[in-house]
Amino acid sequence: MSIEMNITRRHTLALLGGASAGLFMPAIARANVTEISAHYSMPAIFQPAQEAVLAAFSAKHPEVKVTYVNPTPTYEDGAQLLLRNATTGNMPDVSFQGLNRLRMFAERGIAVDLTPMLAQLGDPVEFGYSKPILGLGFHGGMQAGLAFATSNPISYYNVDLFKKAGLNPDAFPTTWDGVIENAQKIRALGNGVDGMFFRWPGDDWMFSALLYGHGGRMLNEAETEVAFNGAEGLAALTLLDRFVKEGGMPNYAGTADLQAFAAGQLGMMFRTTAQVRSIANSVGTNFELRTTTLPVIDPVKGRLPTGGAGAMITTKDAARQEAAFKFIKFATSAEGTALMAQNTGYVPCNQIAIDDPQYLGEFYAQNPLFQAATKQVHLMQPWYAFPGQNSVRVTQVMVDNLARIIEQKATPEVVLADMATEVSKLIPRK
Amino acid sequence: MADLALTSGTAMPREGVAARQTRGFGTILVAWMLMLPAIVTYVLMILLPLVVVLALAFTDYEFGAPGFRFIGLDNFAEMLGDRTFGASIRNTLVYSLFVVPLSIGIALLLAVLIEAGARGRAFFRAVFFLPVVSLTVAMATAWQYLLHPSIGPLNAVLRDLGLGTPNWLGASEWVLVSLGFIGVWENVGFNLVLFLAGLTAIPRDLYAAAEIDGVRSGWSKFWLVTWPMLGPTLLFVLIITMTRAIRVFDTVQTLTQGGPNNASEVLLRTIYQEAFHYFRFGYSAAVTLVFLAIVLALMLVQTRLIDRRVHYG
Repeated sequence: MSIEMNITRRHTLALLGGASAGLFMPAIARANVTEISAHYSMPAIFQPAQEAVLAAFSAKHPEVKVTYVNPTPTYEDGAQLLLRNATTGNMPDVSFQGLNRLRMFAERGIAVDLTPMLAQLGDPVEFGYSKPILGLGFHGGMQAGLAFATSNPISYYNVDLFKKAGLNPDAFPTTWDGVIENAQKIRALGNGVDGMFFRWPGDDWMFSALLYGHGGRMLNEAETEVAFNGAEGLAALTLLDRFVKEGGMPNYAGTADLQAFAAGQLGMMFRTTAQVRSIANSVGTNFELRTTTLPVIDPVKGRLPTGGAGAMITTKDAARQEAAFKFIKFATSAEGTALMAQNTGYVPCNQIAIDDPQYLGEFYAQNPLFQAATKQVHLMQPWYAFPGQNSVRVTQVMVDNLARIIEQKATPEVVLADMATEVSKLIPRK
Repeated sequence: MADLALTSGTAMPREGVAARQTRGFGTILVAWMLMLPAIVTYVLMILLPLVVVLALAFTDYEFGAPGFRFIGLDNFAEMLGDRTFGASIRNTLVYSLFVVPLSIGIALLLAVLIEAGARGRAFFRAVFFLPVVSLTVAMATAWQYLLHPSIGPLNAVLRDLGLGTPNWLGASEWVLVSLGFIGVWENVGFNLVLFLAGLTAIPRDLYAAAEIDGVRSGWSKFWLVTWPMLGPTLLFVLIITMTRAIRVFDTVQTLTQGGPNNASEVLLRTIYQEAFHYFRFGYSAAVTLVFLAIVLALMLVQTRLIDRRVHYG
């Protein structure tokens, strides 16, 4: 559209004849510019990063003009916006969506398969798109998106409480047994101080950390039956049960865990690295905060789930697709991901930026809290998105069942069986 | 609401026929013109969406899906076996049974006390009305802190007294009670102001007459004069409080997200969750219909049965 209009204008100018070169030149420059729109969620976290990426991109690629539409407050709102626009039109050309929602957009024909565009690059690994990194955006049998910002679960702890309880803050336990032991000692300080909180509510993400940690998986390869109801699933639930029974883990609702932690009343907290910045802010100078990797369960088979955002292309127009791909390729390049990581604290999504210290070495030296998650990059696998129309509902069923363990109303065995039955009903029968 | 539309739609022309000779066509036209904005808004904003919801309830439409199928009563059949829906009906009922009598009772008591008091009427009225004008979501954050299991002031006091420290918003035994108390706190002020208005409307000479007839004690005065005269106000307060209680959403969404294990799941949240979280518009529309049916049934019972007994005249 805009190309055509500019050409007409150029002709008009030429016809006028008297047009000076100064007037002429910008018209030519603008004639080749493709304008695309992009959308992202959670401006509170992503706005500085998105703006930095856009500024760097515009300097390098004047032939593409990217405009952001109003960012949506949460991933959920972002998904709603796209689904709404899918029915009413007026879709942004590029959208940054929660990684676990890419599958839904792939299944509904909204995300464009990036495989042909990646094929033009030759070997994607040379661009830093290693197989696991591409895997984060591979859903529904296609490359639905490219990971832009990723997160994984890490350990947060209160150094002051560690010292008070006679524990060594330089030696954070590397096993969950060690964590439970520490939790008991911190809890023994009394005065309402709690030892540990593992952030199980909200969604199935943290539970999958325990499941993947044992080497388990949610469904079988063919996605026809649940696969979490075996030994790994039981071990994951038993661990959760022990957190409560032995570790005295309280049942915090909503964001009560963050409040308790910031108030210095909680020793150890296990949740996403995405919150490093906000947690560090709310802790302030109340006590010394440190982060480290999540305790290892199975050193060989153990993996961790990946949260965060991926960039996907929605436009079906070839010229716009080309421009859109230039943009998301830059956003996920070593340079783009370094800007993202510095501005958000999320894990970089380009192997070159991870391996080559020239990109982020200095940043991590100055911001050690952000380093824990990057040390776990080799363990990351996609946050499993269930197939079919009950994709999101399944996760709620799991959380509801986990609550029964946290409240000590059912044993891990009973919960595992119930969870398997209920989830089986919600996955599509093939 | 449908009643309203019917009466405004049918009563006017009938009156118009009778008045045609005397008032002429112009008057009728003006009447319709004056009603037009209201009718258009009503059709566009209420009737049309309602029809859409009604239609969607019998489909499997998912937000963003290219098409949908009509699936008859499948959505309603699914509800019967849906654990979350069952819990949300039960919890909404329990919550309402807790909030409605308590917030009406406390408001009435306070209203009578404030009305009888010689000083500080405006002050107390303002104090109890504050929760109504404050933003629920913002206040919910304050409640979250007050009721926090380990750093909350309430549990700090209980701990000092050597009492147990329940997890007010995290334990399934307590969560509805806690939300109920917040609901009562929210509603009392509103009801109080309505009752105060109702009380001032009672003619003073009724009390004087009662006194002459030998009614001496405060309780007797209340029971023989105030209570019956407050009937219409009470009915109004009852309807308002009930709808507000059934519509509970923001405190649940901000404080507990329906948890743990659906212990605080309520109807409106189920509707929201199904539509905007799971994107199952068809099912959500079906739940909305159930919600509307409940509200409509309550309104009918109240207006048909109770209305007759409170209006004297």
